[in-house]
Amino acid sequence: MFELSSSVGSVTAVLQAGGDVRTPATEFEAIFRVFLVLGVLVGVVVLVYMTYNAVKFRAGGPNTAEGDADRPRLGELPTGSGGGRKLFLSFGLSAVIVLSLIAWTYSSLLYVEGDPPGDDALDVEVEGYQWGWAFTYPNGYTDSTLRVPADRPVRLTLTSRDVFHNFGVPELRVKADVIPGQETDAWFVAEEPGTHTINCYELCGAGHSYMSADLVVMEPDAYETWYAGTDNSSEGSEPDGNETTSANGTTTANATLAGVLP
Amino acid sequence: MTRRNRHHERAERDGEHDEPRVADGGHERPADTDGGHERSPTPLEDVGAVGRAFRVEELPPLSSVARWFVTTNHKDVGVLYVVTSLFFLVFGGVLALLMRAELWTPAADLLGANAYNQAVSIHGMVMVFWFLSPLAFGFANYMVPLQIGAEDLAFPRLNALSYWFYLFSGLLLGASFFQEGAFSGGWTMYAPLNVPVYTPELGATTTVLALLLFVASITVSSVNFLTTMHRMRAPGLTLRKLPLFTWTILLTVWMMLFAFAALGAALVILTSDRVLGTTYFAAETAGGSLLWAHLFWFFGHPEVYIVFFPALGVMAEIFQTFSGRRLVGRKWFILAMVLVALQSFAVWMHHMFLTSINLQVKTLFMITTIGISLPFDLMVFALIYTLVKGKVRFETPFLFAFGALALFILGGITGVFLGAVVLDYEFRGTYWVVAHFHYVMVGGVTGLVGGLYYWFPKMTGRMYDETLGKLHFALYFVGFNLLYFPMFVAWETPRRVFVYDVSLLPWHQLSTVGGFLLGASFLVMFYNLTRSLWAGDRVEGNPWDYTTTAEWAVPSPPPLENYPEGTPTYARGKLEFLAPSAVRSLGRTGADGGTDEASTPSTDGGTVVRDRSSAPVVPETDFDEGGHDEHHASHASPWPFVVGVAAFFALLGLSGVNEGGLYLVLLAVGLLLGTVGFVAFGLEPFHVPEMVAAERWPFAGVENAKLGVWIFLASDVVLFGAFVGSYAFIRVAFGWTAWEPVPHDPFPGLVNTYLLLTSSFAVVLALVAAKRRSRAGLVGSLVVTFLLGVAFLVNKAVEWQELFHEGLTLSTGVRTSTFYLTTGLHAAHVVVGLLILLYLIARALRGGYLDDDRPVEYFGLYWHFVDIVWLFLFPLFYIF
Repeated sequence: MFELSSSVGSVTAVLQAGGDVRTPATEFEAIFRVFLVLGVLVGVVVLVYMTYNAVKFRAGGPNTAEGDADRPRLGELPTGSGGGRKLFLSFGLSAVIVLSLIAWTYSSLLYVEGDPPGDDALDVEVEGYQWGWAFTYPNGYTDSTLRVPADRPVRLTLTSRDVFHNFGVPELRVKADVIPGQETDAWFVAEEPGTHTINCYELCGAGHSYMSADLVVMEPDAYETWYAGTDNSSEGSEPDGNETTSANGTTTANATLAGVLP
Repeated sequence: MTRRNRHHERAERDGEHDEPRVADGGHERPADTDGGHERSPTPLEDVGAVGRAFRVEELPPLSSVARWFVTTNHKDVGVLYVVTSLFFLVFGGVLALLMRAELWTPAADLLGANAYNQAVSIHGMVMVFWFLSPLAFGFANYMVPLQIGAEDLAFPRLNALSYWFYLFSGLLLGASFFQEGAFSGGWTMYAPLNVPVYTPELGATTTVLALLLFVASITVSSVNFLTTMHRMRAPGLTLRKLPLFTWTILLTVWMMLFAFAALGAALVILTSDRVLGTTYFAAETAGGSLLWAHLFWFFGHPEVYIVFFPALGVMAEIFQTFSGRRLVGRKWFILAMVLVALQSFAVWMHHMFLTSINLQVKTLFMITTIGISLPFDLMVFALIYTLVKGKVRFETPFLFAFGALALFILGGITGVFLGAVVLDYEFRGTYWVVAHFHYVMVGGVTGLVGGLYYWFPKMTGRMYDETLGKLHFALYFVGFNLLYFPMFVAWETPRRVFVYDVSLLPWHQLSTVGGFLLGASFLVMFYNLTRSLWAGDRVEGNPWDYTTTAEWAVPSPPPLENYPEGTPTYARGKLEFLAPSAVRSLGRTGADGGTDEASTPSTDGGTVVRDRSSAPVVPETDFDEGGHDEHHASHASPWPFVVGVAAFFALLGLSGVNEGGLYLVLLAVGLLLGTVGFVAFGLEPFHVPEMVAAERWPFAGVENAKLGVWIFLASDVVLFGAFVGSYAFIRVAFGWTAWEPVPHDPFPGLVNTYLLLTSSFAVVLALVAAKRRSRAGLVGSLVVTFLLGVAFLVNKAVEWQELFHEGLTLSTGVRTSTFYLTTGLHAAHVVVGLLILLYLIARALRGGYLDDDRPVEYFGLYWHFVDIVWLFLFPLFYIF
């Protein structure tokens, strides 16, 4: 079952594993895999062990001592049973596993928290609003679809026009809170051209379920051509109700929203 | 303890500072061997006909409907809590099933967006607030006094009041659906979605007020339980010797006291934003959105342990009983819980890893978060090792407790994923989080359901049907995993959406099937328990082998005053029921906090024999000559119910106070009824017997009512702390130096500082006068205090009037919002103080408090506290 849980992300993961660029996505996949394997292992061992003991020492079973000589009695002052050494051994072992796992992930955290690699990162400002996204490029051009070149780090600076949102592109493992009056940042690298969905991950009102947008990853040359044709107008932003049909044929947020909301 | 003290303490226990019974007190007399005669009839002259009119003489029988409205007995209140919480389980469960039905297809088809968001939000609130903790506190109400050897909680009427606040807060929540819709911004109520610009429905305000009333219920309850558990343990039952369930409740209420005060502050501010128009959480306020997140999660993370600890306690009790083994590493288990309880207040920012907080803070909170998970490892292993060499019986309670541990382990492992911040970034806002916390929280529910089966025979005197119990467990466990496990697989689904990627369809459909199965399993439980209530096998005492705790040493269900065989004591190392006088003489040597017992050697009782059965020890002698039954403790009062109704009307009215019309009428009715209820509450003679001897560490020297006041003030410190913290947080975000005090002239504030300081001296003089038995001095000093308080308010009113005149209103901006609301909260404390003063003056005029000055002392504590708060507020809001 656990293998399936990462199936959604596995396609992108495999694609990215080929490259040697460390991106938030590759960091996540590597760590998630290790955690899954260890988590399943520990879970199975502990659950089997507790069930084994419960059955082994069932009342009337062959391993249960006869007589109630040392059993708890009504009205006694509570005390504990012995076995502290075993307890601390298990506790120590689990603590070592957990602590070393977390320590191991810390370098990844520093990497993801730091600046994107290289110095050619594309800066895009993201503004969330009820219920859509506006992306502003360095030249001032604003659009409701995020177009980025493949294989180049993209640095996002995010804020909200109204309520608390959360910006996430699950396939690229990038996510950030989008808070009014605050700026947050995040970065990602999309290695292959294609289209991804941007979702809102914080309940933000009636349109929350539909607050998605497209992230279009273009070939670098195609991107440059497209970008050269933009200016600081904002014709694409806030397409209220007009059809914004993305490459893979799904209709994006605002078109759908008009039909759903009162 | 001297007779006088004991006598007065009884009078004080219910928080009313002037029991009529004090009239015959005041004379120091040596305690006699007779534990009962101090309850001689007491004159009611000083309350007269009014007081008698408010008195309910006898508790109606169990079969009477009236009983359930007037009862203050901890067992009745416990049953009320359990039944009501199960009602809310159904309520929250139906909302959950509506959501799962909507999620059957990836498109929007069943509920509209607003209906779905309401279902999501109210489901969360109902389950966390109105179901989980109240079910646990149903057990706590019933079992904690029995386990520690008390006849009731320290303040039985306040306990009933907690219950009625709880019930009516839940009804208020239900009412919110009918005022244009309940709150729809999630149970976390993130700002600024929670302000009327984005959620304009009246019902959303009502939801917030319902939570606020719930917080009041919790606060009253926390004060009550803490006083009880620290002051009313049977001799020999030191803190270290408390049963595990009681231990978990003790830690839970300590966490509740502080965590819910922070939530209370957040909700008061939110209510003010919604009703009065302040702008703390407005989108334009710098830091407003983050402020809410900090306030909410400062409460919200301890809340996780608050709902889980009682389940842990139940699991520990059930594991011990059904394995016939004492808990392995008991003291380490307790130490681990204490560490978790302390540290729970230092992990909240892990809910905010994706906000703009910096890396250093993230690292710190990552470390504390991982740190707090480790004690749970120890607890889990302790429970598992307890089974080894046991005699494990797979009866229904054990199945549920065992299942709960298994689910909690899965919840814990998936929680470690979230502790790795890099992973948390991606899990944030997804079904991974949903699945994880349901494994933990509903894992806790599983343990509590085990508790329900475990204690059902204790509470009803009837046995449930074991086969149906096992069937319930099978359906429950399969349904649970079918519901929540697919969520791990479909974890990429964003939370709280009703449209999702088609590829996830099979997992969501499995989940929905599991949800309905889980719901159906409860039908089996309801059928089983309802039927067994009438037709189950009778249980006389203890149906389980290897129980240790005292609730099993009394009949099932226990009689009104719990211990028909005598007063419980552990002074000689095991539970015995002795005559009160024997307990008192034993308590002198055995108790750690009982040294204030000025008792004389007993002449009766003390000889005990061992019973053949598992019931430990019964006294041989008849101790009843002491008049044990001569004066019953009071168990009935209608006023908690009345105050609860009043709160319902008042808050419903407040929700729409800006609409006027019917809402104003509701508000007026609520306030009027509340006034009547509180005054009657104060005048009602209500008698709670004092324990003859008790463990009281570390509060041996502080009597119950005083301890209650102290504990309440501790929560009030957190309330004001949250307000001042909010002010500082917003001011930093605004720019500390760019911020100027709202009053351009600090002079009125300075005058008010002097007025309050002087009034504190006046209260001290009142206490001195009372000690010197000078009625004139007492009345005069109290009147001076009152006048100084009024002068403070008048001065403030003039100041505010001028500021309003300059156009500086509550809605002008965050500067004025923080100024008016924080100093307004303080002024509200002054108003409450003045109301109490009026009551004190009225009673002092009739000669009250000369024999017993403690009510004046307790009022003084409160009043000094209010003054001290002002000493902080004045420089913060007038000078800097």
